[in-house]
Amino acid sequence: MKKSLFNKDIIFWGLFVVVFGSVPFLKQSDYHLMLANSILIWGMFAVAFNMLFGVTGMLSFGQALYYGLGAYSVGLVVKNYGPSLFLPAIGLGVVLAVITSILVGLLVIRLSGVYFTVLTLAFGQLAWQITFRWYHFTGGDDGIQGIMPSGVLENHTVYYYFTFVLVILAIWFLRRVANSPMGLVLRCIRQNPERVRFLGRRVRRNQLRIYVISSFFAALAGGLMTGVTNSIHPDMFYWTTSGEVILMAVLGGIGQFFGPFIGATVIIIIQDVVGARTEYWSLIIGLIMMVMVLGMPRGLVGEIRGLKARFAPGRMSRG
Amino acid sequence: MSRSKYFCVMALALVAALVCSIPVYAQEKIIKIGALYPMTGRAGLYGLDSVDAAEMAIEEINSKGGVNGYKLELTNTDSKAKPDYSVMVAKRYITQDKTHFLFGVVSSAVGLALTEVSKQYKKIFIGTDHASTQLTTDKFQPYYFRVSNNTFQSMAAGALYLKELQQTKPWETIAYIGPDYAYGHDQWQELKYNLDRFGVKYKSVGEYWPKLFAPDYTAFITSIINDKPDILVAGFWGGDTVAFIKQAQPYGLFKKTLYFHPDAGGNYELMSAMGSELPEGLVLSARHHNNWPETALNKEYVEKFFKRTGRYPTYAAEGAYAGIYAIAEAVKKVGNPDDTEALVKALEGLKIQLPEDPEGFTSYIDPETHQIVQVQAIGLTKPNDKFPPAKMMLGDWKIYKAEDLLPPKDYAERLKKK
Amino acid sequence: MDISFIAMQFLSGLMMATLLFLVASGLTLIFGVGNVFNFAHGSFYMLGAYLAYQAVSVWHANFWLSVLVASVGAGIFGMLAEFLFLRRIYGRAEEGGFQILLTYSFILVIDDLVKLVWGTEYKSLPRPTGLTGTAEIFGLSIPSYNLAIIGIGLVIVVIAWLVLSRTRSGRIARAAALDREMLGSLGINVPLTMTVVFGIATAMGGFAGALAAPLRSVSPGAGIEVIIDSLIVVVIGGMGNFWGAWLGALILGEVNSFAVATFPEWASLFSYLVMVLTLIFKPEGIFASRKIRRI
Repeated sequence: MKKSLFNKDIIFWGLFVVVFGSVPFLKQSDYHLMLANSILIWGMFAVAFNMLFGVTGMLSFGQALYYGLGAYSVGLVVKNYGPSLFLPAIGLGVVLAVITSILVGLLVIRLSGVYFTVLTLAFGQLAWQITFRWYHFTGGDDGIQGIMPSGVLENHTVYYYFTFVLVILAIWFLRRVANSPMGLVLRCIRQNPERVRFLGRRVRRNQLRIYVISSFFAALAGGLMTGVTNSIHPDMFYWTTSGEVILMAVLGGIGQFFGPFIGATVIIIIQDVVGARTEYWSLIIGLIMMVMVLGMPRGLVGEIRGLKARFAPGRMSRG
Repeated sequence: MSRSKYFCVMALALVAALVCSIPVYAQEKIIKIGALYPMTGRAGLYGLDSVDAAEMAIEEINSKGGVNGYKLELTNTDSKAKPDYSVMVAKRYITQDKTHFLFGVVSSAVGLALTEVSKQYKKIFIGTDHASTQLTTDKFQPYYFRVSNNTFQSMAAGALYLKELQQTKPWETIAYIGPDYAYGHDQWQELKYNLDRFGVKYKSVGEYWPKLFAPDYTAFITSIINDKPDILVAGFWGGDTVAFIKQAQPYGLFKKTLYFHPDAGGNYELMSAMGSELPEGLVLSARHHNNWPETALNKEYVEKFFKRTGRYPTYAAEGAYAGIYAIAEAVKKVGNPDDTEALVKALEGLKIQLPEDPEGFTSYIDPETHQIVQVQAIGLTKPNDKFPPAKMMLGDWKIYKAEDLLPPKDYAERLKKK
Repeated sequence: MDISFIAMQFLSGLMMATLLFLVASGLTLIFGVGNVFNFAHGSFYMLGAYLAYQAVSVWHANFWLSVLVASVGAGIFGMLAEFLFLRRIYGRAEEGGFQILLTYSFILVIDDLVKLVWGTEYKSLPRPTGLTGTAEIFGLSIPSYNLAIIGIGLVIVVIAWLVLSRTRSGRIARAAALDREMLGSLGINVPLTMTVVFGIATAMGGFAGALAAPLRSVSPGAGIEVIIDSLIVVVIGGMGNFWGAWLGALILGEVNSFAVATFPEWASLFSYLVMVLTLIFKPEGIFASRKIRRI
């Protein structure tokens, strides 16, 4: 078991490093680099989100709060104190996200199921409304533009490799968490929180931990994204941003560790292709979502794996 | 339904989307224009009108043989009114599709994000329908041009109107209601600035900031009635104007107070949505009017648009129409669409006859701010059913000279300091 | 602030509360009975507004008839959505998450379908004849249509109370909220009950949309604005609780109305403020519909 898990990981990591590592050499234009960069960042965001949803069973509809917090920390610091503080600002965003997620987390993990989801949504919307409204500080609906990293990071290729390395570290770390004893506890919480409690493990403390970890990476994603689009906007806090990351996770497969990353890749490419060709993109995304939920609940990666299991000789399949 | 059938449905949906339009690669000389208009949500109507008008202008020009042997070509991607997504698309336009011009944009937030991209890649961005004054003042950059009025110009005209009104019908108190975001706040600041500049005495008795797209204004209306302002200035756009007027009318607000809405109030969609329900005597304006000026050019433009789409245009349409003609004129002067610096020079000070220009005036682009300079007309709602489904249109026009509406030289400095 | 102004603001708040309640009641009903969180409830509201527009402006129907058309139409769409799609995910692990995703996909699809059918132009309905003017009560002039809406809201509350507490169907609905399986073993057709309840809930959304149409502008995306407000209402009142929705709407309407009169600068933040206070002190809402599993 241990060995096959290891093998699967190797395949993923190998593909991942080869494909994303070679983008700067194969790209036809700056745009491709930007697309690949967003896939990396959203992929990390989706994987971190899935630690909450797929692993622990807590569907947060408010991760945009931390994504936005990360982005706005960078945007506001760079705007007010200059681009040389780009990297410290990412750090600041992550720290703020940890603090906020502890405070909000203590409030929201008191409830479970749909109640938890709605509460997280409510807090996300609150953050959006504040950002939108507090225009003297945040720039309101105008957002902030022209956020450039300084020094070597100003070069798009360097910035790309910088995020590439960070994303690898982040996913590696999350993989470690998922396979650790804590990951096991989290999976048990999803299935039966009562039993976890009987076993002497603290449910709430573990839930809070994973909520904070997930939010940490959401903020990192937000901060890194400012270096790609060079602009921020209150929409980053809006519920549709949270919705997008959920969609990525479900599309890729919430039961698979790397599924959400694949989901992010597919969604960003679909958005690019569909958006460029038709104004009815929301209809198409909506239909895809419907098909995934109804027909392929295990996500792309899960379904493919399921097919493989079905046709593998000498194995029981779940059909 | 079995799982495989779902696969089929999904596959079909995707194929349908992809087949919808396969890009055609032509060998002829083409001026590529990459547009980013919203096609969904509240601003979708403006996006649709803009794209239709831009395509209309392109057909007009191409059917006459194009410009210097070049044909114009417009690609629009739904901006979803999202700045981060729009930045991605703009970068695709520039680096991948090699478009010559960025074009469009309804939301000021998207406009501000794109002007940054335009600066970074040194590509000209023609703004057609976003009103934030910042773009041509403190956020100005040399590759940005705007071919429709900004809020400052509307508010300057508004202040002049109020100044004249004070002489015929003395008023003292004024209140403001506008959406609670930059667009709403800018208008009120700019109006107050212009009232002071023109030496108008007034007393502000209330400021109200409903959320953008708020469905319910009842509490605001009863509160405004309690303030008893002589003038109520409104800064809504689109459906919010419709909702506010509908809800305020039965309270008798417009009998006691003059409703004054000089930036987007006179846009045609208000007249078409409200029909005969629109009260008489509201003071409104917009960046283009379907029934003013009564020049041959304007009549022809409005008729042609109607024939093409089956509806009369909102002002967004004329902005896009103007943008295409500005591009064509600039390319004609330079001879090719590739020399960006020469195009910038050509656009600076460009004179261009537009549907919204009255007899004896030609719009021109101010070489210093890259803002188009145009006449502004403010009118009163009056019965007029020549543009159905509207039953009311504007009339009793007051015309304000373009040069009087420009911000003073130190205005950009003022904004920067803030 | 004199007394007549306070009364006026109170009525304004009541008006806002009634419309909020009409939308939120459907949302809370389907959550309370069917345990389904219908994120697309606002889209059924929008659909109702468009159907009413279609009936009045295109088919030249009487306004009240068009309200009926809108409610029935939205209800039928709702039942179809439940029967064809939602039903398939009941009982699945992580059902809550998939419910939200599926209903989110409804939002996206309905938004574009509406655009395909009715275009992007703003639509608007005239007030019904007889209710275009102003009524005088205690020296206050109130638009008569607003009074009618406040009245209709009260009637709906009374009818709902009678149905839920005094009829067999009401008892089945309340039982379904408590234990779906037990109800099934008692010989009640649970799937049918679910479809019908979903239909009633979406019909209420359509009803609210049609009633609000003469006061608002109808355009694609209109559903999203109301769903967030309704969400705040049910979060404050307690999800799934009918009286909670009523109280939540009332609180929100009145707080907003008086915030506008006293702190207009900050009025837009007040509804969120109320929500956050509720969440801190009573995260399950003022009326929790049942014992929520706290883990």
